[in-house]
Formats: sequence, structure tokens, C-alpha cells
Amino acid sequence: MAKFLEYVPGDSLLHRMSPAAKLVGAVLFAVACFVNSNLVFLLVMLVIALALAASCGLGRQTAGLCKAVLGFSVILAVVLVLTTPAGTPLVPLPWGYIGTGSLLAALTVIVRLMAAAIPLFLVFYVTRMSDITNAAVKQLHVPYKYAFTFTSTVHFIPVFMNDMAGIMEAQTARGVAFDGSLPKKIRLMVPLCVPLLVSSVRKTNSTAIAAEVRGFNLRTRESGYKDYPLAARDVAALGLCVALLGAAIALTALGA
Amino acid sequence: MIEFKNVSAGYDDGAPVLRDVSFSIADGEFVAFVGTNGAGKSTTMRLANGLLKPRAGEVLVDGASTRDLKVSELARKVGFLFQNPDRQICCNTVREELLFGFKALGEEGPAADAAVDAMIARFGFDPDAEPFLLNRGTRQLLALASIIVLAPPVIILDEPTTGLDFRECVKVMDTVRELNEGGTTVIMVCHDMEVVADFARRVIAMTDGRVVADGPTFEVLRDPAALKAAHILPPQVTEVALILGREVPGVPPAVAEADTVSQMVEALAAARGEEAVGSEADAPSDDVAAVLAAEEAAAPARPAACAEGSR
Repeated sequence: MAKFLEYVPGDSLLHRMSPAAKLVGAVLFAVACFVNSNLVFLLVMLVIALALAASCGLGRQTAGLCKAVLGFSVILAVVLVLTTPAGTPLVPLPWGYIGTGSLLAALTVIVRLMAAAIPLFLVFYVTRMSDITNAAVKQLHVPYKYAFTFTSTVHFIPVFMNDMAGIMEAQTARGVAFDGSLPKKIRLMVPLCVPLLVSSVRKTNSTAIAAEVRGFNLRTRESGYKDYPLAARDVAALGLCVALLGAAIALTALGA
Repeated sequence: MIEFKNVSAGYDDGAPVLRDVSFSIADGEFVAFVGTNGAGKSTTMRLANGLLKPRAGEVLVDGASTRDLKVSELARKVGFLFQNPDRQICCNTVREELLFGFKALGEEGPAADAAVDAMIARFGFDPDAEPFLLNRGTRQLLALASIIVLAPPVIILDEPTTGLDFRECVKVMDTVRELNEGGTTVIMVCHDMEVVADFARRVIAMTDGRVVADGPTFEVLRDPAALKAAHILPPQVTEVALILGREVPGVPPAVAEADTVSQMVEALAAARGEEAVGSEADAPSDDVAAVLAAEEAAAPARPAACAEGSR
């Protein structure tokens, strides 16, 4: 089973698209989600994102991602509900009220974050990390240093998650009970940041040394042997993303 | 006692890693699990201390099913030393690290302090040292110390000598042997057959999630069928003895059945009608151990166990 943000091999349309087109398309899609606050429009975007995930056979990964984003966005939504008095008052608060507008805003935040996040994360599931780096350097003219830093960061996420799971397991075997209330859990997990930090620094250092000895600083835009030409499907997909962004801007301009 | 009854197990929704495994380990045994990577050894260890629950069958620790016990409850009975000490070490000083287990179990107090002091004295640790700045062998020793300070009746060692040099390996394994001689049950996963031959008294060989051989160490290590099934090679002395017995005519049975260099030397000397020269510690292959032992005896802050030079 693929780990978090780990490439899943496949032959879907998204898999076959150029990495640069996927990256740019995902960014345009995410920008469109943030340009407009119309709930119906955002729901349409969410449906498109889910359909894209389903077309790649990544339902399980997307469900996990949605769960994670939901957890994060619910926190934002709660803050929004409590601090944005709008619409018809429903629940009075000492500092204002919770209204229909507050609930709508909270729902909008949840839908927006999920719709924007899915395509961005899908890019990593349907593209090899090396292809993302190479395409970013060759086609998008991103300096290799930055492209490598970015992809390394993403690459390390599942590694560190695995490390943290191993560390927690080791402490459980020593008698630490991680079940119980959230404050207790947090209190128990804080000391575990030390071994995680140590292992992260060691791994990062090893990676940096390995990159140096393999001529990291000599690498230029021309170094990659692989080309990523744009095919008709890439242009069409980018056109669709531009159209979605245009629609979002137009709806905002019209006040919808 | 640890009992596996028809245990099958795996991770998440994946294929089973263990299939219908059954064995029991009595109190005070020193058992080594051997086999190739992916044979199911580490999974067996994780089942034994409850980190993993069986899909089918039962794992019993002192008669209680691990399904009914939390890992934190089992930690009092079964200590687990992981292959990588850096996953276990999490405190700022050696003393805090040794006390961590007591804190986790809610057993802080004068008795815990005394046990920690004894452990510091035993291993010659600097109690205020930063654990992550210690060398690999000392970190492994600290990880082991932080487990045995709780005096669990069973300790599980998952590849305890990986990444250690000979001296560090001797230190760790001598400590383990002392514990076993004191009555602690030791269960060890190990790829180094020399270590297995030197320390374990029983070997369980695994392949593809199944037990393919189980018996006294040298019985298994001399069994060609078991070695083949588990894809392992015997220790060099055993291999030489087996080859001599099989391919050299006229070799006395005592030579072909020797388990150690000193036994082989004695058998050869006896066959020639001579008296074997010196004790086991003086045997040629043990020269390194003898030098080590002398060095360790000269160094004041070394653990006492190292001076014995076990190999």
C-alpha cells in the first residue's frame, strides 16, 4: 500500500500528463478555489477534484487526505463560526452571535480547503518525485537547488511519519500508554520530538552529503536527460484549468 | 512463559506475514530466531510483546492473551530492545533515560533511583552525558540498560548487534548472557550465526512466516535440511567440522562434532594422542578476545562484563 504522498504507478490520464502541466494545473485549480467564495462553485470544484482522484484509482488515498484536511479545516471553521457574526442570529454569544452567515462561511472554508488540496496532493501520487523535480527545473525554470529542496521536503514527510511511528512504538514498548485524553497524549508526545529531531537532522545531513558527493552543485538546467514535451492532453487540461480560474474571477467580479 | 498457538499475523490489510506459527518458550531460556529478512522474525517479536495482535490464534504471556493486555501493561513483563537505539532514546541525560521506564510505568521513587544508580555503576555511564552524543555502541548499551533496569522477566532483542563492532558486540552480548544466567528469559533475533552459536541455547529458524526448525542451537545449526530451509549458513567452526566429517576420510567423530574451536583443537590433539594446549581462552581463535579482555581489565571505567571476553 502506498504511503502518504508516495507515487502510485498507473496509466490514467493524470499519470500520463506532463509533470509541469500537472503542477501548473493544480496550482491554477487551487488559486481558482481561493479567488471565489461561492459555495456552489466550490462544491463543483470539489466534485471535479474527487472525479480526478477516482479516475486515477486513488479513492483510498483521497479519502485519507480528505479526512486529514477535514480535521484541519474544522478547526478553522470553528474559529470562524465563533468569530464571524453574520446572517440571521442563531446562537447568541457574549462577544456577538453565531448566525447563518457564520455557518455558511465555515462550510465554505471546509469545502474550499478540500477542493484546493486534492489536486495538489494528487500530483504527488501520480508523478514520480524525480519527474516533478526535473520538469520544474527544465520547463518551469525553477533553480535546481530550490526544486530539489522542495521535493526532498515532500519526500521526507512519509519518512519522518514512519520514524515517528517507530519512536512511538518503541516508547509504547517501554510502558508509555498513548491512549487517554488529548492533553495527556500531547504531554507524552512532546519528549518524542527529541529523537525525531535527531533522526531528521541525521537523515538530512546524510542526504546533503550524498548529494554533494554526487555533484549536486554542478547540476544545471541542461543536466537532465529526460524531456517532458507538452502533449495535446496537457494543453487541453491547462486550458480547462485556466477556464476554471477565469470562471472564478468572473463570478467574483459579478459578485456571485 | 511465552506461548504461540497457531498464530497468523500481518500488517494492515496486507498478506499474512506469519502463518500458523506455534511454539513455547519456557522461563529462563535463551532463544535465537534466525532466518532471512522477511521470514517473520521481527513480526514474531512484535507479537510477543503485544505491539502487534494476532489475526488468528493466540499469543500468551504467562498464560494471559496479549489481546487482553495493553502493550504498556506487557512492558513490565517483556522488555523490548529495538534494533535502532535512536528510536528508543528520548531524554536529555543518561540518568533521565534510565529513569524514563519507571516514569512511564508510574514507579518513580527511591527504589527506581537505586536501580538507576546500580545500572550507571554497572555500565560505567556518565549520568549527565547527553545520550545522542554517545557513540553507537554506547547508545545501544544505554538502550539495553534502560530496558533491563526495570528487571523484566523476559527481554526481546531485535538484532542487538547490528552496526556494532566486535568490542561493542561483546559488551552487549555479555550483558545479555549475565541476565540470562540470572534467570531472565532472552529472545533474540540475530543474523550473525557466530553470535547465535556463542550465546543462544535454542534456535528457532523461520522462513516465509513459518517455523522450519526448532531445537538446541547446534542441533539446528548442524542440520543441513534446516539450514537450507532457513537459507542460513552455520558458524565457520561448525561448517569446518561438518565438511571435515563429510569429506575427509578418517576424521575422528569428536572433530566432526566439535561446536567450538577449542573443542576441535582438543579433539584433534586427543586423536594424535597429545594433550590439548591451554584452556578455551588460550585457543588460537580466541586471541582477540584475550587481548580485549586484558585491555578492558586495564580500563577503569569499562563494564565488568567486558573483561570476560566471551568469544
